Amino acid sequence: MGIVILLLMLVGVGLMLARKLPTAFALVLLAVAIAVVVGAPLTGENSIVDTVLQEGAVALAATMLAVLIGSWLGKLMEETGIAGTLVRKIVEFGGDRPTVVALGVLAVSALIGTVTGSAPAAMMAGIIGIPAMVAVGVPKTTAAGTILMGIAAGIPFELPVWQFFSTALDLPIDTVRGFMLRLFPFAAVFAILFVLVETRRRGVEHAWSLASMSERSAGGDRRRGRARQLGDAPWYALFAPAVPLVLALGFGLAIIPSMLAGVLYTLVTTTRPREMNKRLLRTLYAGFEVAAPPIALFVAIGILLAAVQLPGAVAALNPLVTALSPSHPVVFVLVFTLLTPLCLYRGPLNVYGLGAGIAGVLISAGVYPAVAVLGLTASYNQVFGVADPTSTQTVWAAQYSGVSPQQVMLRTLPYVWCVALGGLIVTAATQL
Amino acid sequence: MTAGTRGAPPPATAAAAREGGQARPGTAGAAGPGAPGVLDRLTPARRAALRAECARLADLDDAEFGVRLLAATPTHEGRDPALLRRWAEAAAAFGVGLAADRGTHGPAARVVERDGGLEQLLLARYVSRPAPAVELFTDTLALGEELADLLGWRAWFPPGALRAAAVAHEEAHCLLHRDPALRRALRGRTGHTALRLGRFRIAGHVAGADELTAHGYAGARCGLGRSPLLLTAALASAAGALEEARGQD
Repeated sequence: MGIVILLLMLVGVGLMLARKLPTAFALVLLAVAIAVVVGAPLTGENSIVDTVLQEGAVALAATMLAVLIGSWLGKLMEETGIAGTLVRKIVEFGGDRPTVVALGVLAVSALIGTVTGSAPAAMMAGIIGIPAMVAVGVPKTTAAGTILMGIAAGIPFELPVWQFFSTALDLPIDTVRGFMLRLFPFAAVFAILFVLVETRRRGVEHAWSLASMSERSAGGDRRRGRARQLGDAPWYALFAPAVPLVLALGFGLAIIPSMLAGVLYTLVTTTRPREMNKRLLRTLYAGFEVAAPPIALFVAIGILLAAVQLPGAVAALNPLVTALSPSHPVVFVLVFTLLTPLCLYRGPLNVYGLGAGIAGVLISAGVYPAVAVLGLTASYNQVFGVADPTSTQTVWAAQYSGVSPQQVMLRTLPYVWCVALGGLIVTAATQL
Repeated sequence: MTAGTRGAPPPATAAAAREGGQARPGTAGAAGPGAPGVLDRLTPARRAALRAECARLADLDDAEFGVRLLAATPTHEGRDPALLRRWAEAAAAFGVGLAADRGTHGPAARVVERDGGLEQLLLARYVSRPAPAVELFTDTLALGEELADLLGWRAWFPPGALRAAAVAHEEAHCLLHRDPALRRALRGRTGHTALRLGRFRIAGHVAGADELTAHGYAGARCGLGRSPLLLTAALASAAGALEEARGQD
């Protein structure tokens, strides 16, 4: 039966890779198929309808809300020009030194990455950051990679991600925070190394481009047109991205109130009282639009997690997973480091896809302690968040820079692979 | 910014030849008068529209192209056009001064010719690694030569001058890249203040200023009658027209 489930997972991966089905739909179908083959009843306890579909769909509700508030805060920061102002200031201060500008944009991206993830984060930092880097001579692929590496450096402090791992792996927030604090130095060091090494290796690039004089560039580009409307945010508003983090990390406040405080701070520091209601509602509704894809994914992941945690699925997968999973710390690090590319291209170790199901299996089968699975999945998340050519932030950053997502993957993969290795070593050393 | 000397006799030919900018057969600038060129792919009506579009561009002041370039450069969103004009003129004038001072600077980078510029909307590129090199996109240069013929702009852009200007433009980037003092001087010339604390003032970088300096340098080095940005704008229009024509095929 375990083999049948693995084959079903393989079919699921195939459907996602071939783009026959969106990831969220494929995960739901896979969950139902697993529940059917392990003989779950239609209704009642441990059933397809009540357990897998009903309980599973809302299992990650707290994460969904955190993602929504993060998107709201992101939209607010975008509309009030906070992200753009940060990038503009960096270019003004260090513009004739491309490495300094790239490091500054990296820092802004990391800050934004703590608030919201995926394509919205890349857009917030990249809409001004990428052309600003290119304008000072940073090569396009390096510019795209800088945005993505920056966002990934912020991921260990992205509060919705804490909430996701906490709910999905059934771990206290403190435990998640503890691991993320250990993962962060690897993410930060390799992000900085990426900028330093790549700007040194690739040097500068200045192009006599026709695009600079085209009608499109003179005002037709919608995204830059939008950025053009923004003025500078006041200096004290620039602390807004740090507010949720300071409250959650420094004062131990719960995630959702911390993020709401960030929304409030951004609003108060940037908006006249009579415009507050309108702006809050407008950005909240826009936040829903931004949060829709990840929320759909979290609904599907919750359903898949419920399916792989059914007693029948656990019993079927337990012997197989136990036999295949390395228990020695060194072998654990070696095997899972070598398997890192399997989280790319929506592969089976992608934590926002089938990887969540595999994580659920590893925990419910008792192969590894939940905190070790956290280490494994969080390490892979650092790779997926930067180098996966199918992830929305990578596709957006690459296309906006005028390069292919595969070029960005090749340029960034060695660095994020090292981050994953670091995370796996920490996991093996402390949890196995 | 190169002074707008519309209709003036071309002072560019000698300078272009000095730079080795004469078109070589089969490469950039090969499309002489009467020779079939890529613009022949356009219908007569579209070519006429392109001519009219470029004539409107030619009516603009050279400094206006600098303003447009800066306005399209990120970090200048919402800036006062008068301020952008002042920066554009200062940066271009810095380039002209740099061209006059050329003898004191180091040698230019290696020149490499490539195809595929129109696809990427590139005319030339300076890369500092692995070895400093100036890449010239021959298809874009050839289109530029053809366009100068079509528009009757030979007085401003003589045969081969565009290639020479491209080399000079990227040479300016090379000079700025190699010399931090030059970059500081450019920052001082544009006069943008990033931060002021009482008597202390930190000069701010104007994104895009180095590009305008390079165009000013190229215009002065090659003695062009108008700013290279005028031909760049015309090339952008022509590339757009060709793209439309491809879409209709």
